[in-house]
Amino acid sequence: MTQEVKTRPLNRLKSMYALRAEVDKMYEAGGDAKAEGRPVAWVMLEGWANAILSAMDVISVYPENYSSLCAAAKLAGPFLERAESEGYPTHLCGYARTCVGYSARMVELNGQIPPEAPAGGMPKPTLLVSSGEVCDARFKWFQSLGRYFDAPVWTLESPSPTARDSLTPGTYERNVQFLTNELRQFVIFLEKLLGKKMDYSRLNFTGEGTNEINRLRWEINQLRKARPGPMHSRDFWSVMSAALYRGGADPTAIVEGHKKLYEEVKYRVDHGIAAINRPEKYRLAFEGLPPWHSLGFLDDLADRGWNFVCESAYSPRRPIEIDLSKISDPIEKYVRARYRSLADSIVDEFGAEEAPKVVEEVMQEGSARRLRLRHIREYQCDGVLLHVLLSCRAASSGLSLFSDQLLDVYKVPSLIIEGDIIDTSLFNPAEALRKAETFEETMDHYRKVRKDMGLEW
Amino acid sequence: MVVATKQGMARVDELYRERPQRVKELKSGGKKIVGYLCIYPVLEMMTALDLVPYRVVGDMREPITKADSYMPPVVCPFLRSCLDTGLKGKYDFLDGMVTSHICDVGSSLSGVWNYTVKTPYHYHIDTPHTVHETSLEQLRGLLGAFRKSLEEFTGNKLTDAMLKAAIALHNEQRALVRELYELKKPDPPLISGAETIKIIKAVQSLPTNEGNALLRSVIADVKARKNGPVKKSARLLVWGSILDDTALMEMIESLDANVVMDDTCVGSRPFFEDVKPTADPIDGLARHYLVDIKCPRTFRAWDFYATKKNYMEDLKARFSYLSDYARDWKANGVIVESVRYCDTHGYEVPGVRDYFKEVGLPSIYLEHDYTEGALAPLRTRVQGFLEIIG
Amino acid sequence: MASIYFAGIDLGSTMTKVVIIDGSEKVLASVVQHTGAEHRRLANRVMEEALGKAGLSVDNIAYVIATGYGRINVPFADKQITELTCHARGVAFFFPKARTAIDIGGQDAKALKIKDGKLVDFVMSDKCAAGTGRFLEVIAQALGLKLEDLGPLSLKSTRKVTISNICTVFAQQEVVGQLSAGAALEDVVAGLHDAIAGRVARMTRRLKVEPEVVFTGGVAKNAGVVKALEENLGCPVLVPSDPLLSGAIGAALIASETVAKLQASGTFKPMTGRRLEAASFFK
Repeated sequence: MTQEVKTRPLNRLKSMYALRAEVDKMYEAGGDAKAEGRPVAWVMLEGWANAILSAMDVISVYPENYSSLCAAAKLAGPFLERAESEGYPTHLCGYARTCVGYSARMVELNGQIPPEAPAGGMPKPTLLVSSGEVCDARFKWFQSLGRYFDAPVWTLESPSPTARDSLTPGTYERNVQFLTNELRQFVIFLEKLLGKKMDYSRLNFTGEGTNEINRLRWEINQLRKARPGPMHSRDFWSVMSAALYRGGADPTAIVEGHKKLYEEVKYRVDHGIAAINRPEKYRLAFEGLPPWHSLGFLDDLADRGWNFVCESAYSPRRPIEIDLSKISDPIEKYVRARYRSLADSIVDEFGAEEAPKVVEEVMQEGSARRLRLRHIREYQCDGVLLHVLLSCRAASSGLSLFSDQLLDVYKVPSLIIEGDIIDTSLFNPAEALRKAETFEETMDHYRKVRKDMGLEW
Repeated sequence: MVVATKQGMARVDELYRERPQRVKELKSGGKKIVGYLCIYPVLEMMTALDLVPYRVVGDMREPITKADSYMPPVVCPFLRSCLDTGLKGKYDFLDGMVTSHICDVGSSLSGVWNYTVKTPYHYHIDTPHTVHETSLEQLRGLLGAFRKSLEEFTGNKLTDAMLKAAIALHNEQRALVRELYELKKPDPPLISGAETIKIIKAVQSLPTNEGNALLRSVIADVKARKNGPVKKSARLLVWGSILDDTALMEMIESLDANVVMDDTCVGSRPFFEDVKPTADPIDGLARHYLVDIKCPRTFRAWDFYATKKNYMEDLKARFSYLSDYARDWKANGVIVESVRYCDTHGYEVPGVRDYFKEVGLPSIYLEHDYTEGALAPLRTRVQGFLEIIG
Repeated sequence: MASIYFAGIDLGSTMTKVVIIDGSEKVLASVVQHTGAEHRRLANRVMEEALGKAGLSVDNIAYVIATGYGRINVPFADKQITELTCHARGVAFFFPKARTAIDIGGQDAKALKIKDGKLVDFVMSDKCAAGTGRFLEVIAQALGLKLEDLGPLSLKSTRKVTISNICTVFAQQEVVGQLSAGAALEDVVAGLHDAIAGRVARMTRRLKVEPEVVFTGGVAKNAGVVKALEENLGCPVLVPSDPLLSGAIGAALIASETVAKLQASGTFKPMTGRRLEAASFFK
């Protein structure tokens, strides 16, 4: 029997750890803020509200992220159970139910942080800010927290036009007006709540903070197209929190952390170092939200030579220089800086020459699938893992159609693994691994098909 | 020209059994039929251009076989059934399909339907989620865009005058449905909950003027008949997600209860408020479809600008119309129901039950999964509930 | 008053129970039999056995209430009432101070809230085997043990193993895995008891658990589950000497109360010519 010193399957980036640690600081800042009597907002993923809240000195705390932290620490169970006994149906979002359980516990303890809560918990909110970005469940979730907190809930509307609508003249401008008006109302509300006027000079969205981080994340993601893939999805998710759930934390450390990350990834690309300590047999894309409670499952796949080189959620946006000099209203400026029209995005992606053809295709089909599928081709993926979540319909509904279209357009197969973001009991790792083994044959088969078709990978 | 020979409840039964019969006749006569999902697509705008709006629903008794390729099983089974029915060609007679942003899955379904079922004309209204003034303004803009789209589709101009006439016609239907519901106030009610669903479904499969005529004949029919529901111990209000099949109602009404009122969408929701007359008809329509229709998909609050939330005031602002229903229809218990995987109603359940508790109305929560088989265990729960309130 | 008799029949998915009482709430006879395929149509045989034990004939019975999963299969019953209401009544009879009742049967589990001896709220779980007697049956079979040995075995555990899988099928796999890894059988069995108790406790907490907490149903005979339930709920759990009878006794008591009410309003008409016949599928 040969003596094989088996190294761990994942070759994790060293600079990832420092960035991940920044997230703890975010929770600390939340705790400090509350202790100092500063207002704390429970908010969603880095959306419209965050820059405005920062400008008003409100500390942002992210229940979504906190729930995934609980799941990763295997401590979400009791909160989920509590939500169930509070009468919440069990198919609802795992993030929401963890948060409900946590909130119910807080109320039981007269507003104190539950001792069993990891990372120091989340302080009691002064206000809740939900938005329609990403999914509809979010505003229902925060609305239902009225049972536990007397904190006001503000729901920020966010338009979600169809692809065809987006390319119809008038839609973009109307949506810009809508978002601008919505945010103006939000500011009026905050001014009333906090008893002070908004200082627009502090509305920081084009400066060093957010955009620099986004640009670095974008550059790093471009590097990840290399063969073998230098950065695994697990590392991407670990550092994602630092970028998107920053809240009031000082951006400097995060910018520096991403610069170091960029350097380390570049080094790997230059030296052909992979993100896994095994030969890269298969390049995978991960679609859907990660199984926070069972990330080790991906290590088991890495052991088989599966390198997850890209993922659909939490992606950075293409950094574009937008000339906003003619816009005087700071809110409108903020909106235009973050909200890009589909027409412009198509030009960004495909170039001015090819864009009209793509626009015509989208108008004809009524779907922007070419944009959606693009990253599979760019990263030369052999397969896609579709993580269908029991408790997240926003992330899961489109996956079946996606897999169909992908096979049709690029001859890349998909593997469906059912599970959840938070609830461990809904995921069967043994079965998932078995399915994965069989899927390897499918990926091998379609590699041949693509070769015969003349596709480049 | 084929004339319907049956009237009243007989015609309702006919249509319930085979819903598209009338629109297929109209189509062969040159009319365009436009399907709509849920109650947010603005029907008046379609009626005004002489399009026939036709409510798209699922089929609870048909096993889902084709939809799984395009939508995972962890989504609303009603919407999956709609898609399945579409994929099986049962909606091939539609010339158009109008959807709206009802929920995450509904929006996803809109895209999937467009891609797979390929109804020739397809439009999606991105209805906002709150009743902010800014949202109303946004919806006005969206309806303006919808108007242009419909004009392109039909090749005709949609004038304000046409729109006002359509609004009047649809308001007439709303008034007739409310008149129908008055017949549920006596004890025993003159029509059952199951019959109510049948009637609404039949009405939503006819052009508006014919639907109005049908309602009139049903009301006359019901007032004259002798074999209506019998007196039971319990009078129930049913609140929740779409019930497009009579099975659940029939199960409840097979026990010692009559369902006398509902807050569902193949039910009272689209009909209990009229579109108010406004100089620009789009204003009245926007307000009606965003603010007046009470569905949990819309975020409402007691006071959006309040700096502290008063939970009870908030619940009252959102739900007091329900205790009005209970009072006016003399309901002594509530069935809170939702279909499995419905997030919209799922999050609402604890709050709405808190409200019912606060106003002294006993309630029970039933979760069903849009199959007939799921109903048997629910029977024990409903009976147990009736034994408690009895 | 003593010579008026009432019967309660609880036709469960696994066991059929009949109780006959007299006007002073004294139990004259009780019978428990396997339901099986036969008894679903033959509740009359079980009733006959009970009558025999009580020394009565069917004509002596003033009122019969049928309850349980198969309550519609008792053609000679005066009324059908859910097992929810009947169990609550029966539990209150055994333990007048009971506020919360848990019943784990062959195929379902229920939690009941009781106030002043009557049912005021409930939660049911009947969609899957986990959290029911079936779970233990499957496990016992998989481990080659007798169902009645599971309880005593689990009490021997010193370090119970955590079974994380919610599904009966997956839990089996997990058990096999644990045993292969060297876990002691009693520790695994204790873990399984903890799993079933945890699931039921979770369901029960939707009702806000208040003492006294009473546990009934076939699974209540398993001392291991009783202990695990106490640990999961964090309070003592009481078990009647005959945990299978609460439904039938409750039904009989309700029969007695029903007749008393009807007599008070002068509207009681006893069923004449009651025949103990099998249920047929055709009316």
